[in-house]
Amino acid sequence: MAKRGKLEIIRDILKIIQENHNSIKPTPLLRKSNISSIRFKEYFSELIEKEFIKEVVDKKEEKFISLTDKGFKFLEKYKTIVSFIDEFEL
Amino acid sequence: MRPPLEFLMSPQMGAELIYSFVIIVCSLMVYYGTKELYELSSYKGIKYFRQAFLFFAIAYFFRSFIKFVLFYFSIREIFEFSPRVFGSLTLFIFMYFSSIAIFYLLYSLMWKKWNGNSKKVYLLHGIALIIAALSVISRNPLMHFGLNALLFLLVVFIGYNSYKSSKSKTKGHNLYAIYLLLSLFWIFNIIDILIPNFLENFKLFIYLVSSGIFLLILYKVLKKSGN
Repeated sequence: MAKRGKLEIIRDILKIIQENHNSIKPTPLLRKSNISSIRFKEYFSELIEKEFIKEVVDKKEEKFISLTDKGFKFLEKYKTIVSFIDEFEL
Repeated sequence: MRPPLEFLMSPQMGAELIYSFVIIVCSLMVYYGTKELYELSSYKGIKYFRQAFLFFAIAYFFRSFIKFVLFYFSIREIFEFSPRVFGSLTLFIFMYFSSIAIFYLLYSLMWKKWNGNSKKVYLLHGIALIIAALSVISRNPLMHFGLNALLFLLVVFIGYNSYKSSKSKTKGHNLYAIYLLLSLFWIFNIIDILIPNFLENFKLFIYLVSSGIFLLILYKVLKKSGN
C-alpha cells in the first residue's frame, strides 16, 4: 500500500469524523485514522490550529471532536486541491 | 515631454497599456483564484506557484512604468531619466521581481525533489538580487544578453530535470512546454527593456504570444481550481 501524503491523512481524519455524524471521541478517531499516536497528536493539534475541527464537551464532561465549517469546506474541495496539484505538478 | 493626451492616444502607448493590463490581470487572477486552495491545504507547491504569479504582476507593473517613462519623456533608456537613481531603482525592482517570478515557478515544480528545503528559497532570492544588481551596474548590452541567456539556460536545465522525474509524461509535456515558452517570452520582455530597439520589429509578436501564454495558464488555473 502506498504511503499516504499529508493532505490524504488530513482528508481521512476529517472523513472519519464526518462519517460518525460529525461527532467522535478522540480514542476511536485515533484508532480509525490508522496512524501512530505521536503523529495523530501532531495532526490533531494542526487541525485544531487551522480550525478544521473543534473539541466539544457534553453535559457528562465527555470530549467529542466535530468538524467546523472550514473542515467541511476542506472535504468538499479535497478533490479539486489534489487535481490542481496534479495538473501543475506542484 | 509629450502632451498628455497625444501621448495616451498614441498606438504604441495604447498597445503597451492593453498588453500590461492583460498580463497583470491574468497574474492577479491566478494569485487570487488559488487563494482558497492554499488557505485550505497550506500546500507549499501551491504557495510558490501563486507567489510566482504575484511577482509576475509586480514585475509587469514596473515594466509598464519604465515603458511609460521612456515614452512620456521620449528617452531611449531609463538611465537617461534624471535623477539617475530613480531609473536605477526602478530597473533593479523590475529585474529582481522578473527573476524571482521565474525562480518561484521553477521552485513550485522542484521543491519536493529538493526535500522541501526552504533555505533554497533564500538562495534563489540571492541570485535574483545579483541578477538585478548586475543589470543596473552594467550598461553593456552583451552583458545583459549573456545574463538573460544564462537565466534561460538555468530554466531549461531545471525544467528538464523536473520533467525527467515527472509522473505524468503526457500531461507534464504540455506543462513544461508552457513554462518554457513563458520563460522564453518573459526573457524577451526583459531584453526589450534592457536593450532598446533590439526586438523592435518583433514587439507585437512577443506581446501577442506572451498574452496568449498567460491567458492559457489562467484558463487552466480557473478550470482546475473550480472557479
